[in-house]
Amino acid sequence: MQHFALTIIGRDRTGIVSQVTEILYELGCNIADSSCSILGGQFAMILILDHPEYVDRDSFGDAFLPLEESGLSVFLRVLKPGGEIRPEIEGEICMISVYGSDKPGIVYRVAQVLGENQVNITDLNTKLVGSADNPVYVLMLEAVLPENMTEQDIDTWVAPLRDELQVDITVRTIHTAEL
Amino acid sequence: MPVCPIILYPDPVLKQATEPIGALDSEVDALIQDLVDTMYDAGHSVGVAAPQIGVSRRAVVVDVSHSKLGKDNNHGLLTMINPRVIEKSGSKTMREGCMSVPDYTGNVTRAETIVVEFTDRAGRSRVIECSGFEAVAIQHEIDHLDGMLFLDRVSSLKTDLFRRKNS
Repeated sequence: MQHFALTIIGRDRTGIVSQVTEILYELGCNIADSSCSILGGQFAMILILDHPEYVDRDSFGDAFLPLEESGLSVFLRVLKPGGEIRPEIEGEICMISVYGSDKPGIVYRVAQVLGENQVNITDLNTKLVGSADNPVYVLMLEAVLPENMTEQDIDTWVAPLRDELQVDITVRTIHTAEL
Repeated sequence: MPVCPIILYPDPVLKQATEPIGALDSEVDALIQDLVDTMYDAGHSVGVAAPQIGVSRRAVVVDVSHSKLGKDNNHGLLTMINPRVIEKSGSKTMREGCMSVPDYTGNVTRAETIVVEFTDRAGRSRVIECSGFEAVAIQHEIDHLDGMLFLDRVSSLKTDLFRRKNS
């Protein structure tokens, strides 16, 4: 079956989820994994879909036109075979908090250090908080550590960023208890 | 004694309240042995409740002594018949998963310290205080006896920490 990724974003209001999912339901699309959230004043939806007959973008016709007309932006990606399968990422889960006075480069520098060391970021959120005079940037991310890597290794790599970016950084392992 | 296959959701037995156990007969003893064998066979498991092997009766086994999180604070192997939490205090959030609900984990907030009464395998009435990971494991297993899954108790989405201000 062909799988698709659908991204929808627009000014937050009530009814977006029902408007979107009604269309998908009427088309006969299945929603697999999805994540939806408010970012700033926008509501953003990311969904992995499949449909028993649809093969490409044209299959959807103008089904999403009502969404566009109500001010939402819609982007559909046709997945390559296997693109819907979540890889098994084995390893310890590590949570990293980075926060401090807002300045350019916080996300980039942290992600760069992790990427250079083959750490897989699996979840990342940022939020600008604080006051207009004192904006504070908060970055929270979850990463899966490759085998033989520890929370101390991560801490060692990000340590120079504390001075460079003048931010606080804490690294801790998240233990998932399967009961 | 057999290692039993773990029953997976949506098997209805996982959402049923279980029957209290009366006399501790050989059937109950065999059930306890099956739970223990199944728990240890799973390797990483620290607890199994009777409904997870398809038996709708009030029995669980817990042993966190071999786990990283529980090795310094535990009562060893606990075989608990008709367990009941009689006191709760504090709160502790952990990311939980469940052998009966594979591939999903969620943050669950439970009591940090509990006092639990139960009958053990030898028929003795016991009241013990547990804390930390052992307390979490016992509460998770007792939930199974009431037809509750951790999915019923997920306390936050991962991004929830950004939303508390206005809630």
